[in-house]
Amino acid sequence: MKDISISINKVDNEDKCSGKAKYVADYKLEGMLYAFTVRSQIAKGEILKIEYPELPNGYYVVDYKDVPGKNIVKVIYEDMPVFTTGKITYLYEPISLIIGPEKQVLNDLLKQVKITYKEEEPVFEWTDSVVHYHFDKGLGEKAFQGLEKVEYDYKTSYQEQAYIETQGFIGYPEKDKVTLLGSIQCPYYVKNAVVQALGEKEDNVRVIQATVGGAFGGKEEYPSLIGCQLAVAVKKIKKPIQLIFEREEDMLVTTKRHPSRVHFEGYVLDNKIHGLKAVVGIDGGANIGLSGVVLSRALIACTGAYKIDNLDISGDVFRTNTVPNGAFRGFGAPQMFFAVEMFFEHVAKKLGIDPLEFKLNHLAKQNDFTSTMGIFRDPVLMPEMITKVIETSDYLNKRKEYEKSEFKGVGMSLFFHGCGFTGSGEQNHIKAKVKLKKDKDKVYILIAAVDMGQGVKTSFRKLVSHILEIDIERVIFDNPDTDFVPDSGPTVASRTMMIVGGIVARAAKEMKDRFDEESFVVEKQYVQPEYIKYDEATFKGDAYPAYSWGVNVVEVEVDKDTYQVSIKKTWSVYDIGKAIDERIVMGQADGGLAQGLAYGYLEVMEHKQGKIMQKNMTDYIIPTAMDMCPMETYLFDNPYAFGPYGAKGVGELSLIGGAPAVAMAIEQAIKRRVFKIPVTPEYIMELINNGEN
Amino acid sequence: MAKIKFKLNGEIKELDTDPSRRLLDVLRDDFNLTGPKEGCGEGECGACAVLMNKEIVNSCSVPLANVLNKEIITIEGFSKTKRYQVIKDSFAKAGGVQCGFCTPGMIIATESLLNKNPHPNEFEIKIGLSGNLCRCTGYNLIIEAVKLAAEAGEGLW
Amino acid sequence: MVTSYIPLNLDECLKILSDKQVRIVAGGTDMLIQNRSHTSMPIGFKSDVCYISNIEELKKIYEDETFVYIGSVCSLEAIMESELVPELLKNTILEMASPAIRHTATLAGNIGNASPAGDSLVPLYLLDALVEKRSIKGVSKVALSDFITGVRKIDLEKDELITKVIIPKISFTKSYFKKVGPRLSDAISKLSFAGAYKLENDLVKDIRIAFGSVNVTVVRRRDLEERLIGKTKDEVKKMVSEIVDWYEEFIKPIDDQRSNKEYRKSISLKLLRSFIENIE
Repeated sequence: MKDISISINKVDNEDKCSGKAKYVADYKLEGMLYAFTVRSQIAKGEILKIEYPELPNGYYVVDYKDVPGKNIVKVIYEDMPVFTTGKITYLYEPISLIIGPEKQVLNDLLKQVKITYKEEEPVFEWTDSVVHYHFDKGLGEKAFQGLEKVEYDYKTSYQEQAYIETQGFIGYPEKDKVTLLGSIQCPYYVKNAVVQALGEKEDNVRVIQATVGGAFGGKEEYPSLIGCQLAVAVKKIKKPIQLIFEREEDMLVTTKRHPSRVHFEGYVLDNKIHGLKAVVGIDGGANIGLSGVVLSRALIACTGAYKIDNLDISGDVFRTNTVPNGAFRGFGAPQMFFAVEMFFEHVAKKLGIDPLEFKLNHLAKQNDFTSTMGIFRDPVLMPEMITKVIETSDYLNKRKEYEKSEFKGVGMSLFFHGCGFTGSGEQNHIKAKVKLKKDKDKVYILIAAVDMGQGVKTSFRKLVSHILEIDIERVIFDNPDTDFVPDSGPTVASRTMMIVGGIVARAAKEMKDRFDEESFVVEKQYVQPEYIKYDEATFKGDAYPAYSWGVNVVEVEVDKDTYQVSIKKTWSVYDIGKAIDERIVMGQADGGLAQGLAYGYLEVMEHKQGKIMQKNMTDYIIPTAMDMCPMETYLFDNPYAFGPYGAKGVGELSLIGGAPAVAMAIEQAIKRRVFKIPVTPEYIMELINNGEN
Repeated sequence: MAKIKFKLNGEIKELDTDPSRRLLDVLRDDFNLTGPKEGCGEGECGACAVLMNKEIVNSCSVPLANVLNKEIITIEGFSKTKRYQVIKDSFAKAGGVQCGFCTPGMIIATESLLNKNPHPNEFEIKIGLSGNLCRCTGYNLIIEAVKLAAEAGEGLW
Repeated sequence: MVTSYIPLNLDECLKILSDKQVRIVAGGTDMLIQNRSHTSMPIGFKSDVCYISNIEELKKIYEDETFVYIGSVCSLEAIMESELVPELLKNTILEMASPAIRHTATLAGNIGNASPAGDSLVPLYLLDALVEKRSIKGVSKVALSDFITGVRKIDLEKDELITKVIIPKISFTKSYFKKVGPRLSDAISKLSFAGAYKLENDLVKDIRIAFGSVNVTVVRRRDLEERLIGKTKDEVKKMVSEIVDWYEEFIKPIDDQRSNKEYRKSISLKLLRSFIENIE
């Protein structure tokens, strides 16, 4: 049989190239109305009075009073109202929808809405802790006594997903049903949220995925909010309605990567970190949502790719009167890996040891305990991967040479990503189900996984056709529609191929045994590997069933006059178990690294008094073709027993190492220590003037 | 209102409409040509790119008035050409398509570049694509696709 | 709804300008963004509009012995491709705009906009460019530096149209433009710098320095430049710190969502220093 990794043509190339692929804004329904959102103009306070202009015939206002079910968006931590009942917790919080047939009229009506507020002093400081976690490993802080303490603080900023297609839905009534068609990652998150908001039977809510123009976590939980709002409107008005954000609205109000602060104290003996204390804070924004899970992923990654025996780790999610933060590829890991990689670099320098040597001395190995006393059960190939990256990048020579020169630098990051949900999330919360249906000569993959560009439609058809040994044309995989597919869980957490693909592979194997039958369905459910036992309250046990690993080397030049950074080249080695399609994986590798690099040196987003300052693609700077560099990437096979053909998670891994590697390269180039990202020319100037080496 | 006559994908069209409408809206709303996309609405991302007199323009920042007597080709029109086939195959081969939202614009940018410069070097390719944002690929695979297209399409441009 | 005029020749256009109160739109790349309304809605102009991009007479680039004349609706691309246009301006265009913008945006539009971050204004100030304005009453020429009177303010009567940008033909030993943007292409500048000089037998015959995005309009100080003329290049190079000090008071940038004033000021002066130090 052919190696599954050998690339095939992506199945959606033709439609996407020719412009035929239909994204949500490309659908026009007969008699469709448009919805504009009325938003608060203050960051904190109470609405005393809202005066709407007189609405022409056929125009409607929809607000919290129209929510028939629970006025709360169903996410992990339920604190986000579908529409506010009057309490304002951040600038541009949604108050109501104005709906009607003519955008011009809606635009005029929107301007005439008069809102009287009782303003309160907004909170932007990180003082209001809503989620607090703490865990120890080994002897905890007791082990720190008498050891040399080395401490540093690290900071990361917002990052905006900047999917090129903005968020949006079209909603319409179908008999007793409310149906939503949208740009989403998680059809069942939306469905479950709408069921709760409408107080409806499950059968009366249908969610369909349109082609998704990029998501990166941004379309994980946020669509549940606008999906609920639109569903409420459709239920009331009983007409098709389009709610699509334009860029500025999208950037001002949708969730972003949590800004973070990490305080590390390393306790050192004989050039080894024996104990680590971390105090971590992330800014949840006005609603906590899934921030707690982001924090726990960050905390679990606190030791980086290294083994440290004694830990005292704590973290908080702070509530502030700013736009809510949420999921973004990496989900807490990029923040922590930046901090921990820099910390190891800085401790080594402080101790006068070569940072790479220092890191190698701490590297985690197979059968080592993780930060939560789980076990790295599979082989850890990092030493071989590091050797490979050193060979291909000439890292050691460059590192030595640039120590002596100015404005050139090279950095290396070592990292992993825990694949799938943290802890028992799969088993306890998701309970993924998949179906494979054989109908005469066709096989249908019925799962809720969304192709948002990462190639799920291709890789899953390939997986099934490979197992069944049939032509890929005979395997059908349409965009998920909750009326037809079971809940195989959200398209998040690098779980799709490893977890859902694993279940689909089991179903396909069963189907193969019965392939003579003309038409039948195979249904399978997730079964957690028996060794996974995790206690969420104490952070004890195996937090992840498997880990993907990576090494990035980044070479930069800094302009001596302007301090602009240009990235010359990157070299990467990844262990993702097994590539189901090599070209698709390479696409994820390049794209994730580009986002990670840009997070490290380019992408600036800040708020001023709760207002996002970079509110469009002109001011929020993502890389262009001119900014990116050649990327050399190698994959190491290291099959994971429960992943299909050994596959582990891919999507998030490649983002994680970019920021620390580029920050370390810049650190070498400017001979100053870097403590925050993005490392902008403005920050470099500050460091050159006042920083220390 | 004014009468605006222009050529669209090979056919003469005449509209009696507001010349201050954006070309992008006219294409999508009046002709149902949804290949050009709105990504940013301010000429920054290139998802709305079309060819105007064979050159790439951002249709979100072209008023219909400026289209008078011009020739507009959208991805729908361009996809009927041999050049498109070559570019599409190259994008497929290089893995240049992920979410696809930028792809029609990228293909238009490629055509505009190769039409002027059939043998671009890597730097010229990067400049040629510099007005088209892609958040998925990190660009290398798209740059590779343009190189492949220039080779495979030898003589077409 | 506002009324739109689409004149096909200059006379028709000038008549419209004389009779009506209109906004003039050339390529539209900036005006459409500034006045953007919503998807599927016409641009939200508040007054009537005159679209001038169909006027063929304004699309010519030609020269005489002393000047290069650039018609006001020539696209940036056409300007970049013309053999008559000075390299400094071509390089600026290449750095400042993506291909799609270059194909529609115009130089006159940049001038009419008078944005402090307008990149093309920096070399145009440096080159002593002139603006030709026309109305039904006649034609006049004005120095660009007089034409731009403040942030988005220009010296143009309501019946007047910019018809040409006129660039004196000057030869330099070296000319240099540096755009400092947040990324390497397709972005609004944090700051920009242009410098040019002419040496004859090591004597500075001409030297010009201009800064963009660091004041309400382009900073160019002829009085300071004149102090350097007639000196040898080595004398000028020795004066570098003094020269930087001269300019310091005229660099008055702001903080905004793209950068901060400390960076803008410091880097502007560093580019000046580097420019002077590299006179060869």
